[in-house]
Amino acid sequence: MVVETRDVYTIRLSAINEGRSGQFYMISVPGVGEAPISVASGFGRKIEFTIRDIGSVTARIRHSETVGIRGPYGNGWPWTDYDKIIAVAGGIGFPPVRSLLEEMVDLGRGKDLEVLYGARSPSDLVYKKMLEDWGNTLDVHITVDRVDSGWKGKVGFVPSLLEDTHLGKEAAVFIIGPPLMMMNTVKEALRLGFSEDRMYLSLERRMECGIGVCGHCNVGEFYVCEDGPIFPYSKVKESPELFL
Amino acid sequence: MSEAFIAISKDFEMFGSVEREGEIIFDRVGEFDEISEGRSRYAPKEFLMQRNENVLLLKQQEKKAVFGVMSCDLKGFYLMDKQVLGKDPFYTERRKNTLFANFVCNEPCEGGFCTSFGGPVLEEYDVQALRSGEKYHLLVSEKYDKYFRNYEREDGAFFSKFKLEFGSKMEALQVDGVENRITWNSGLWKEFASRCISCGACNFSCPTCYCFDLYDDGDERKREWDSCILSGFTSSSAGNNRKDLDERLRQRFYHKFVYFKKSKDEYLCTGCNRCVEDCPVGIDIKEVINHNYSGE
Repeated sequence: MVVETRDVYTIRLSAINEGRSGQFYMISVPGVGEAPISVASGFGRKIEFTIRDIGSVTARIRHSETVGIRGPYGNGWPWTDYDKIIAVAGGIGFPPVRSLLEEMVDLGRGKDLEVLYGARSPSDLVYKKMLEDWGNTLDVHITVDRVDSGWKGKVGFVPSLLEDTHLGKEAAVFIIGPPLMMMNTVKEALRLGFSEDRMYLSLERRMECGIGVCGHCNVGEFYVCEDGPIFPYSKVKESPELFL
Repeated sequence: MSEAFIAISKDFEMFGSVEREGEIIFDRVGEFDEISEGRSRYAPKEFLMQRNENVLLLKQQEKKAVFGVMSCDLKGFYLMDKQVLGKDPFYTERRKNTLFANFVCNEPCEGGFCTSFGGPVLEEYDVQALRSGEKYHLLVSEKYDKYFRNYEREDGAFFSKFKLEFGSKMEALQVDGVENRITWNSGLWKEFASRCISCGACNFSCPTCYCFDLYDDGDERKREWDSCILSGFTSSSAGNNRKDLDERLRQRFYHKFVYFKKSKDEYLCTGCNRCVEDCPVGIDIKEVINHNYSGE
């Protein structure tokens, strides 16, 4: 177990990840329950989850000797459909972008990806060591909403990083994070001339069964666990409840 | 139908609608004459989707034959199939091993509106029976035809004629196009919310509602019928996209008349009227169909 921040930690299992970036697994603590967690490592690597301690299950996973895991569920980022990709992550939305990054690097396509990552403060950044390593070879831009001690990087909300990207307006834009952050990122991307046909959002809803039956994640004609969690923006904008 | 009943009972555990202490319920039955022709107090949803069960173990399912299901209730399973069958192993296993023999009502029931959704004669069935005096007209699916070789089976003409006559006694509501007429900001949702007490009875009584909750209970992981009307139904770490009761009521009706229509080309309602009968504050799903949205 790696402690990432005050309330975020990463667990690594010996099993190999059979999930694509953007997919999720249901992780359970026996006797407590299950929680949907996006996979943080790339396809074919050892399976990792980066978890925010926010509910009864997620608070206990780190202390559990045994956890249950089923999945993967849902669709993944449609990255193989595009030549260039800009991935924008806010807060705990970053782990599914890390798995995207690993997947693309593993297939020799690391240069086709630009990553924009925003956290509330420097102490809220996850994967600090990896961020340094990636910085040497990959295009990862980081910003924080507010500064604590010794921060030399950018300050500002993550959509503001879009202006600095160099992959061009033809790039697909993948967005994941809190609802307000996603909404603002879409707005900014549209303002800068990115095409809405190439924008994708990863949505968080209450997923329980993972197989499109139990109904908790139903929004419009979609079951987010099965039809998502990643949706083209064109669908999101038509359904009043898809944007939270 | 006694002869077929006996033949079926050699291969299946036999269940049927029976009267017990003034209420019609589903229970084990020994002979055909025990079967009640009245409608059961609750829809027979539990044959395929139990109220509460451990999902860590799926036992081998016994073959069951259920007699006396009303058409409107059976239609619920055919609708659920479109979302659930093949995905939920518990439902799928039971569906495969259960024979339903449904009765077509001879006369319209009070409040029911099955003709609005194609009832009371079903296009899909295992064994469909329509009483005419002392005898039954029968429609039997290929799968179960071997039990009815000594019976005269209908080609459907009698049923078609009957359906027309029945329709003249129970006028169908204008359901077609409701998915286009209905409005997101209609005052209906707030009006319903001003009365609704979030009891969830409408979901539990509905033969088409399939949502469930999953939770751990000691060594077991349970699934339990759930209700989209309850406040925590959609709460997650990202928030709750239906905090208010009017939003949850709208979801219930949008799921039935808009979303399911869009994804499965069916309305998720059979016109059984159970939700209306069981609602303690008189919320009527027919209002959602009949409401003059454009006049608001």
